[in-house]
Amino acid sequence: MLREWKTEWMKLRRRKVGLLLLAFLGFTFVWCAWILSDAGAEELMDGYRWIFSNLSIINTILLPALLSMLASRLCDMEIKGNTLKLICTMEKKGRLFDMKFLTGSLYLVLYIAAELMLLFICGRAYGFGEPMQLRHVLYFLIQNVTVSLVIYLLQMMLSFRFENQIIPLAAGLFGSFIGLFSWFFPDTSLFRWIFVWGHYSLLHFIGNNWDETTRISTFYDVEPKQAALCLVLVLLTGGYLAGRHLFVRKEI
Amino acid sequence: MEYIVETKGLTKSYGGKQVVKNVDLKVPKECVYGFMGPNGAGKSTTLKMLLGLIRCTDGQAWIDGKEMNQKNRLEILRETGSLIESPSYYGHLTGRENLEIVRTLKKAPEKEVDQVLELVRMERQQDKKAREYSLGMKQRLGLAAALIGRPRLLILDEPTNGLDPAGIQEIRELICELPKRMGITVLVSSHLLSEMDQMADYVGIINHGQLIFQDKLEALHEHSKSKLLLRVMNRTAALKILEGRQIEGRVTEEGILIPGLSDDRAADLVSALAAGGAGLYRIEERQKSLEDIFLSLTGRRESL
Repeated sequence: MLREWKTEWMKLRRRKVGLLLLAFLGFTFVWCAWILSDAGAEELMDGYRWIFSNLSIINTILLPALLSMLASRLCDMEIKGNTLKLICTMEKKGRLFDMKFLTGSLYLVLYIAAELMLLFICGRAYGFGEPMQLRHVLYFLIQNVTVSLVIYLLQMMLSFRFENQIIPLAAGLFGSFIGLFSWFFPDTSLFRWIFVWGHYSLLHFIGNNWDETTRISTFYDVEPKQAALCLVLVLLTGGYLAGRHLFVRKEI
Repeated sequence: MEYIVETKGLTKSYGGKQVVKNVDLKVPKECVYGFMGPNGAGKSTTLKMLLGLIRCTDGQAWIDGKEMNQKNRLEILRETGSLIESPSYYGHLTGRENLEIVRTLKKAPEKEVDQVLELVRMERQQDKKAREYSLGMKQRLGLAAALIGRPRLLILDEPTNGLDPAGIQEIRELICELPKRMGITVLVSSHLLSEMDQMADYVGIINHGQLIFQDKLEALHEHSKSKLLLRVMNRTAALKILEGRQIEGRVTEEGILIPGLSDDRAADLVSALAAGGAGLYRIEERQKSLEDIFLSLTGRRESL
């Protein structure tokens, strides 16, 4: 297993995956800085709730696009170079699938961790009134990692399926729009439940009240829906098993 | 005789249509085995089944005496190198980096990368990105990758496809060297008969998914019975004389083609033709080319 893991990283040389993540992180930082530049003193008092709430929406838009590019960077080299017929005489197909999934997952977790770090730095720089809560960190990880892993699996399968990577990338952009739209629907709406990109909004953990007269938003904690989390976990397990099975069964 | 590859009833069907039918391959050790057949005959499918890249619908395959199955496939293939259809490479990596990946997966010693680079004469281009290689270089890189791990069996599917004459010659020489120099058995497929004629010790011919011939190359050549071409001034008289001697003659553009005769009978016929006023001015012996033999075996002309 270690050999296969090592070769995955050898293959990623010059793929500039780190640069891709940094570009998205930089864009996220600029977006957050722009939001914070408009913040009033009251909003900064409850800064973490405010920024977590905004970052959830930013991630809903950016992560599907990032994940499609990430999956494409990791998987299309096997298709473009016809390497499966060589690699699969030395490595089990299922193992190759696992390695691609693990590598992508590691990049994703690092990206989400970097975002949390970014929030912490913002908190310090803008002087948020309350400290960052562990509960928020945990919910943020659950919301972004689980849903993103399901999307990454889907993107991996598309990248392995199509030689032309425009199709998986288009699927990523489609996901971004669906995800964004899902925030405009109530939790009970089917739209949020049937599309996996809408599950970011289902697992949100900060609510807000908008007071029209004072034009002030107040934020409060919301328990993420357990049913939604269960659905995402079922999709993740099922998606992994189905994706792996299809990949192994596919003849080269 | 010991065989490094043996198959029994190897069959592959797609949607009820058999593309490989009951193939019984027998590849002797340390030789070059040419696997021939027209395009679409089932060569690549058979080789892919041997490598476990596609599942066989029926039949068994033994490599080096071990029956292949999904469990022991990788263990058996550790001593096998392959190059199937177009070369496989990571374009963003250098030639050397590509080989390092194969070396790591095959658990081969580090020095082997240098050895195979030298063998395929790629030392100078090893640090160039694979996508910048010419097709010939990519093919050589594929061959180098196949040679890592000191395989006992090399499976090459049309390795000279798309190469220029110099590249073809180079690959051909390399393939011929391998059994003698490194004790490697080479199972190589091609639809080019001239290529096989220069490389193979044994040949197998597949057509419409069926193995129609398998033996030494010499045995294939034995199928070529010589013919005699008679060039005469008067064809009618010549045909009459042939008919009188019960020799079947076929009129062609060049002359009259008759089956090969013993020296006595040939001398007798020449005298008769001269005496009978046929105006015999030339007699030539015609040997059937390997291509003719192949065509008579496969019975198709369209793809050669």
